[in-house]
Amino acid sequence: MRRALTLIAVAVVLAGNAAFAQTYPLAAPAPRTTDAASLRALAVSREVHERFMRGVEGLGRNDWTLASAEFARIIELNPGEPKGSTARYDLALAEVGLQHYDRAAGLLEAALRLDPGFAAAAANLVNVHLLRNDLAQARAAADRFVAIAPQAARALYARGLIALRSGDTATALADFRALLNGNPAYAVAHYDLALAEIQGGRLAEAERELDQALTLAPSFARARITLGTILLREGRRGDARLAFDEASRDAQDPALRNLALSLRDQLDTP
Amino acid sequence: MSRLRLKVLTAVVAFLIASAGIAAAALSSLDDLTGLQFLPSEAPSLLGPITEAGRTGWDCHPEKAATAAKWHDAELPSRP
Repeated sequence: MRRALTLIAVAVVLAGNAAFAQTYPLAAPAPRTTDAASLRALAVSREVHERFMRGVEGLGRNDWTLASAEFARIIELNPGEPKGSTARYDLALAEVGLQHYDRAAGLLEAALRLDPGFAAAAANLVNVHLLRNDLAQARAAADRFVAIAPQAARALYARGLIALRSGDTATALADFRALLNGNPAYAVAHYDLALAEIQGGRLAEAERELDQALTLAPSFARARITLGTILLREGRRGDARLAFDEASRDAQDPALRNLALSLRDQLDTP
Repeated sequence: MSRLRLKVLTAVVAFLIASAGIAAAALSSLDDLTGLQFLPSEAPSLLGPITEAGRTGWDCHPEKAATAAKWHDAELPSRP
C-alpha cells in the first residue's frame, strides 16, 4: 500500500514537471541592445521585412497602388543590397500595372546600377521599352540582357524578336538560330526564324523552317498561313489553297480564321 | 461590215484590258492580305515579383526564368 502511494506521488511529480517543461515561443526575440542606433536599425529591418511581405502580396492580387506605396517606402529606407535592387524591381512591376512605363524603366535601370548582373531586371526592362513602343531602347536593353545571360533562351528570343521588328535580319537570324541550337523542338522559334528568312529573301529556307514548326505543332495556324503565302509567291496556288483551308480549321483566333478563309476564297475566285 | 469588225475588236480589247485589271487588282489585294500574317510572335510576359531574399535566393523563380537555357523554363510563349 505504501509502495503504491509512493509510485502515485512520483507519477504526479513527473507529470507536473512535464507540464512545466512546455515552452511558448515569443512573438519576436527581445532586443539584445539598448543602443539607439542599433535599435533603429532593427526597427528599419523589421519595417522593410513587413513592407516586402505586404508589397509582394499586393502585386499578387494586382493591387498596384498598395504595392507601389510599400516598395516606395522600402526604397526611402535605403535597406542596402540585395533589398534595394529588389525593391526597385518590384516597384517597377507595380508601375507597369499603373501604366507608368517611363517610371518603371527608370526603376529597372536603377536596379541594374545597384546589381549589374540582375538578369530578371534586364529581361523586364526589354518588355517595358516594348510597352513604351521604343524599339531603339528595347534593342539596347536586349543587348544588355544578352551580355548578362548569353545562353538564356529569353535573352536570345527577346533580341531576335526586336531585331526582326526593326529589320535587322542578320541579328534576328543569328539569335533565333542560337535559340534553336539549344531548343530544336521550339516551334515558335522556327516560325520566327522563317520570318527572318523571308525578310532576307530566302523563301526555300523559310519554307523549311515553317515545315519544321508545323511538324512540331500541326495546329499552328499562323505558321500554316505564312507557309501558304510562300507557296503562293512560288506560284503553287493549289498547295497554298490547301494550307489556307487547313489554317482556317486550326485557327483558334477568329481574326486569324477569317484571314485564312478570305485568302482561301480569293484563290477560289477565277 | 468593217465597222462591225472594229466594234468586235474594240470590245475584245476592252474585255482583255478589263480582265487584266481585275486580275491585277485581285493579286494586289491578295498581296495586301498575305502581308498581314508576317507578324512575329508575341513578346514574353513580364517576370513576376521577387521576395526580400533577392535574386540570389535559392528559389528566385524570375531570375531562374531569365537565365534558363530551355524555352519552357524561360516563360516564353508556346504560340505566337
